[in-house]
Amino acid sequence: MSSSLRIAKPDLDQLVSALTSRYQLFGPVDVDGVTVLREVKSADELALGAALDGPVKAAFFPQTETLLTYDGTTSEAPPGRDKPTAVIGVRPCDARSLLLLDKVFGTGKYRDPLWQRRHDDSLVIGLGCSAPLETCFCNSMGSGPFDAEGSDIMLTDIGDAFVAESCTDKGERFLKTAYKSQVQRPSQADLDKAGQARSKALAALAPAADYSGVKTALAKLWESALWDEIALGCLSCGACAYLCPTCHCFDVQDETAPGTQQGRRVRIWDTCQASLFTKEASGHNPRPGSKERMRQRVMHKFSYFVDNFGETACVGCGRCIRLCPADFDVRQVLERVKAEGRRTKDEERGTKKDVRHAG
Amino acid sequence: MKAGKSQTPSPKSQAEQLRETARMLLKEEKADLVVGYERGSSKRRARPVVIRDEKDVDRLIFDNTCGPSLVPFLRKTLRAAKGRDSKSQTPNPKAETSLRVAVVAKGCDGRALVQQVAEGQLKRDQVVIVGVGCNGMRDSRRASSDEKRDASCERCRYPNPPVYDVFVGEPVEVGTGDEFAGVAEFEKLASADRWAWFERELAKCIRCYACRNACPMCYCEECFVDQTKPLWLGKSAERPDTTLFHLVRALHTAGRCVDCGACERACPLGVRLGLLNKRLEQEVRERFGYTAGLSMEATPALATYSEEDKQEFIL
Amino acid sequence: MPDNPYVPIPVRVQNVRIESDDRTLRTFDLAFGDDSEPFEYLPGQFCQLSILGKGEAAFGIASSPTERESLRFTVNRVGTVTTALHYLKEGEELGLRGPLGNHYPVEKFKGQNVVLVGGGFAFTTLRSLAAYLLANRSDYGDITVIYGARRPGLLLYRNELAEWEKRGDVKVHLTIDEPAAGWDKAVGFVPALAEKVRPSPKDAWAVVCGPPVMIKYTMPVLLDLGFAQDRIYTSLERRMKCGVGKCGRCNIGPKYVCTDGPVFSYAELASLPEGF
Repeated sequence: MSSSLRIAKPDLDQLVSALTSRYQLFGPVDVDGVTVLREVKSADELALGAALDGPVKAAFFPQTETLLTYDGTTSEAPPGRDKPTAVIGVRPCDARSLLLLDKVFGTGKYRDPLWQRRHDDSLVIGLGCSAPLETCFCNSMGSGPFDAEGSDIMLTDIGDAFVAESCTDKGERFLKTAYKSQVQRPSQADLDKAGQARSKALAALAPAADYSGVKTALAKLWESALWDEIALGCLSCGACAYLCPTCHCFDVQDETAPGTQQGRRVRIWDTCQASLFTKEASGHNPRPGSKERMRQRVMHKFSYFVDNFGETACVGCGRCIRLCPADFDVRQVLERVKAEGRRTKDEERGTKKDVRHAG
Repeated sequence: MKAGKSQTPSPKSQAEQLRETARMLLKEEKADLVVGYERGSSKRRARPVVIRDEKDVDRLIFDNTCGPSLVPFLRKTLRAAKGRDSKSQTPNPKAETSLRVAVVAKGCDGRALVQQVAEGQLKRDQVVIVGVGCNGMRDSRRASSDEKRDASCERCRYPNPPVYDVFVGEPVEVGTGDEFAGVAEFEKLASADRWAWFERELAKCIRCYACRNACPMCYCEECFVDQTKPLWLGKSAERPDTTLFHLVRALHTAGRCVDCGACERACPLGVRLGLLNKRLEQEVRERFGYTAGLSMEATPALATYSEEDKQEFIL
Repeated sequence: MPDNPYVPIPVRVQNVRIESDDRTLRTFDLAFGDDSEPFEYLPGQFCQLSILGKGEAAFGIASSPTERESLRFTVNRVGTVTTALHYLKEGEELGLRGPLGNHYPVEKFKGQNVVLVGGGFAFTTLRSLAAYLLANRSDYGDITVIYGARRPGLLLYRNELAEWEKRGDVKVHLTIDEPAAGWDKAVGFVPALAEKVRPSPKDAWAVVCGPPVMIKYTMPVLLDLGFAQDRIYTSLERRMKCGVGKCGRCNIGPKYVCTDGPVFSYAELASLPEGF
């Protein structure tokens, strides 16, 4: 049972208040022309029009998170939270990323309690992408500008208002609670505008690329010189990993207050591109060069994650392209991988043919 | 050109001349590789490209999207060509001595190359500097038109590289006015306001080190942030450690920074600390009369001392 | 294991001794704190030892689960955490997270022969395995230990090795790299000794633990002897942080050394291009 509401933009605060009374709410905020995720208390703080530069994962997997506090040799897990988390203005790519991150943190032999205490009972209010960017390729990654996967409620911007639709039972329940009375239903004109916004967005996206052959191609390219070539165009910083909605690697550090025995053990975002990422205490490093690290990044997202969780660890948000200082383009890498994979296959086929003829 | 008709050939664009030069360098074996820019993910962006073959020369461009410093990419290319980047590569000792890499150098990048030679990081004869005059780079992320240039370009006084092997196109006229005017304006603010500005910028930082990695002068094999003995600062993105990172990096690049703006340009979240580097540049110039990136022979200011150095802070 | 896999449980140093002649290796026997539940584990598993304020490091459990009084670890001093561990005295507290990782497939070994090949201080989990097999002696066939180090003073658990040599139900072959005064046993690298011993692959399993170069040269010896790839096991190492498959650091291909490993069969490794 899904319902839709009309929320006039000046009335967005009603939704926001309903959210903040029950949740710790995060949403996109403009900071000097850059849009990042911050905790918000009122609707006028929100910058819903621009694409989010910082990732939504920050609300559930913060950049710096205390694993435990210590005093001498005793330690304590962090306390529970007062309110669950909600995020508003989440584009479909980011909403989908939360599902992928949940596979890492919320499943398997161990469940990550820090993730669970933020992610469980959370509410995701998605926002359809009316104006995809040149760097957006969500449609090539199984999503789309108005895809509802991962959102509990989806907002569609129709100009002077939003059409809000529930996508899950949780979303439905919330809308019913938040809008007990004074529910305004969208008119047919509103729904038509919403439909047009969706079509327009889809048309604005570059046609979806076919990356179905990438994993198979990657299996052949371990020793390929392609990685050396690609790695030359990468500065090995952490911009892509930190801004990527599905990157989840982290470091663990102990930080003691100077002159005391008190401190905390924190986890902080890390990147496989850092030269120290896999460096062992002995000095040995299985990934000593940017070639090995670049290969790891591409393999992890487009091959290993598929092996382990059945899906690619990429939602096509394009941040790694538009915010990369070196303009590294993963779409081009995938096309090169496909081409190299085909080339290797043709060579193999050629060899077999020769053997047959020789016979 | 039709025979019999005398026509002045239309002047070649700077980019076309650049391609011709690159083609010539490869053909005449004056360079083994050419490091330059090619069109990137959109018409507003350029990315580094390594040209090994004449047939790829047409990928080269030079325009106001060519912001990133090519020097870090040049270093990577040299390392890779010498077989030193990865364990899968074979060290190539011959490349140590005989390899020559041409690099497209706008003014600031040209200065960075000079500074690299002065600091013993680059051998002059390994680089063929292809100078280009630069009119400034458009602010690639925030500007919707060509009007707005990056902050460092607005105050640039070195649009042409000071040292080059070949110069492509016409030199660009040097801007006038005080390049430190922005610093002076900032220093008029009350101390608390200045600190508030820094806090606001530092709050945006996620310690991705894009600034450091994009910087032509940040080439240390082991950066101070990665040292554990001693541990200089924490790795988290929280304020005290982030502040320390930026302050120390600014100090490490003092007297070496060529104000190319690669750091600000690289930052994915718009942290603007270039003014801090500019202030330190001013300090070094006033105290030691030294400007980075102009002479390959001059000893860098902070690599030496003179008895004439002002010591008012001690004595 | 508590609900929060990141919080260590307190343990106490019951016993510590210097293990190697150059003092770079120390062996610790750790006892669980009064409020902690001792846990069950199997040979091959590891723990993260935690020094609050310094960090954590991963160590293979050297004790056998049949030795219930304490957990044994041998620590090589190389960095911040291991130095802090080396400074611990008897009675002092530290933290521990475990048991982590998978284990040697001791169920598969039942009724069969087991060949343990070790090098240097990687012998820790092999000690766990050997002690376990010996404590359940009648469940297993022939047990052969082939172990070498650079010199006698770097062999771990020398007293126990001597005791095993005296037993009639386990064959112990030791070697050191170069001749040394007072050493009357084999001299030469471990792969060479393995070749000399020629353990039979019939109804046998091999477990190889040592530095990468030793493993690299031992594997061909075992394969040539006729051991199948899926009957040779090894334990791998990678830099670790979380130890529970979340931080993304220790992967070899799609496998995480901390959860899918550290024990892998040679057959599994052959399918992982990232290898050693």
